[in-house]
Amino acid sequence: MDAGRPIIQVNDLHHRYLRGTPLEVVALKGVTMEIYEGEMVGIIGRSGAGKSTLVQHFNGLIRPRERGKVIVDGEDLADPDIDIRALRQKVGLVFQYPEQQLFERFVGDDIAFGPLKMGLPMEEVRERVREAMEMVGLDFGRFKDRYTFTLSGGEMRRAAIAGVLALRPKILILDESTSGVDPRSRKDLLGRIDALHRERGLTVIFVSSSMEDVAELVDRVYVIDDGRTVMSGTTREVFSRPEELIRYGLGVPQVTEIVHELARRGKIPFTTVVNVQEGKEVVWKILNSSAT
Amino acid sequence: MEDFEFLRHITLGQYLPGDSLVHRLDPRVKISVMLFMTVAITFNVSYLANIILLIVCLSFVLLSKIPLGYILSGVKPALPFIIVLAILQLLFYGDAFVPYGTESRTILRWGWVHVTSGSVQLVVVSTLRFLQLLFLASLLTNTTTISDLTSGMEAMLSPFSRVGLPGHELALVGAIALRFVPILAEQLEIIMKAQASRGADLGAKGRLRFIQTTRQMVALIVPLFIDAFRRAEDLILAMEARCYVGGRHRTKRVRFRFQRADYIAYVLVLLFSAAMVAFRNRMPF
Repeated sequence: MDAGRPIIQVNDLHHRYLRGTPLEVVALKGVTMEIYEGEMVGIIGRSGAGKSTLVQHFNGLIRPRERGKVIVDGEDLADPDIDIRALRQKVGLVFQYPEQQLFERFVGDDIAFGPLKMGLPMEEVRERVREAMEMVGLDFGRFKDRYTFTLSGGEMRRAAIAGVLALRPKILILDESTSGVDPRSRKDLLGRIDALHRERGLTVIFVSSSMEDVAELVDRVYVIDDGRTVMSGTTREVFSRPEELIRYGLGVPQVTEIVHELARRGKIPFTTVVNVQEGKEVVWKILNSSAT
Repeated sequence: MEDFEFLRHITLGQYLPGDSLVHRLDPRVKISVMLFMTVAITFNVSYLANIILLIVCLSFVLLSKIPLGYILSGVKPALPFIIVLAILQLLFYGDAFVPYGTESRTILRWGWVHVTSGSVQLVVVSTLRFLQLLFLASLLTNTTTISDLTSGMEAMLSPFSRVGLPGHELALVGAIALRFVPILAEQLEIIMKAQASRGADLGAKGRLRFIQTTRQMVALIVPLFIDAFRRAEDLILAMEARCYVGGRHRTKRVRFRFQRADYIAYVLVLLFSAAMVAFRNRMPF
């Protein structure tokens, strides 16, 4: 794991929705985390834990107004004078069901929305759209002039993600953006995000409720519950504490659970595997030793 | 600093749970009270009557224990319109409005501008009326759940079913419309946030951003409409899946029955409104 400099620092962050009205809801009550440049971090937590509220602070959709500090790439988000559009271009945020937010008639136009808003020359916009589409696996020639609403669900999802990638962000936040598509599209998308991370050094923040996806993809995990950071560590460390995770309404990937169960029944010493490949090896070892 | 919290500005139609006297009143009483008061408000144009009516409406708000600031915050988005309208009325209405029993005095005349005692009164009374109606409408929806409101409306419309008025359906349409307001506000918020994340200059600083904002509306309205249609379709399916047919043969889990407080509130407000209408032309100022 390459520990670069911290690119996002969150310290004791609090947030209340509809503050000062009778409908006030406390969403965050003390989140602290540090995300380093070039790493791939997972944020997990049950629904309503405050994950979305938290990541919306990272690109200034929500500003810290109460207790707590958010610093992104050296800029304090509580400062009203920072260039918020530059920040949003640097920190790309993809929401849940992003395909529902497509609005242009043609796929290419929708993806070009961000670069056009940046005021780039047409050539540059075109180049960025092409690049972004290729990153998500949409063929530029074939898809750019398709009607947006004729795409399949999975293709729409890719187009929406391409719309954010066209901004060439340094940090990409995926807020449950890979849930609700078919398994093959999901796997393909996860692979492409992983490639972006490895090849271009993109910092990726992956918010998900799928433990499998998190285990497979990220190096480090933060667990948020009831508006607070409750666990953090490498993926393996966090998934080696299943009792705690269950207490927070989460769990561990199935394969991790199987290996933990094998350890509990005395077949092997306690180990935590985080993907199927590692799980396979453990099972093979048991099978081999019991064969002799 | 930008603010994407639209629900903050939608106070009308938002139910606030509570246990005040107003919350506990029968919805039919609340709807009737609102109707009686509205009649009284529309009939009265004198300063004194409107001050009395405003005080009465304010006392309703106090009784309901809903923060006054919360109801008033709902006016914020409409404030520019109200101010422009008031200024136009003040400057150009001239002699078009002469309250009963008074004579119009010219206060200022300068070219097109013609301010009279009548137009001043009109502006002041309009503002007061606006506040009165806002308090009443907010209170009704802030203290009554949508299902109570629907049942209440339906019960009040049922006598007209003999002449073919589809009371149940009308009440349902109203209820669904109210229910969708916060949902659409939330959806709009998500869409705006998504576009702001992609560099759209939404919710930015500056008061006179409305030209850009209007152009950007198109990009907001397309996904919002698609979402609304999809939700409507889902709702139809969900209702059909529950074999919903509506109409006369539907029974109710909760039957309303007037309590003592209901009778008292009903009679008091009815008498008060009647008096206000009867004495509308005898107010000293």
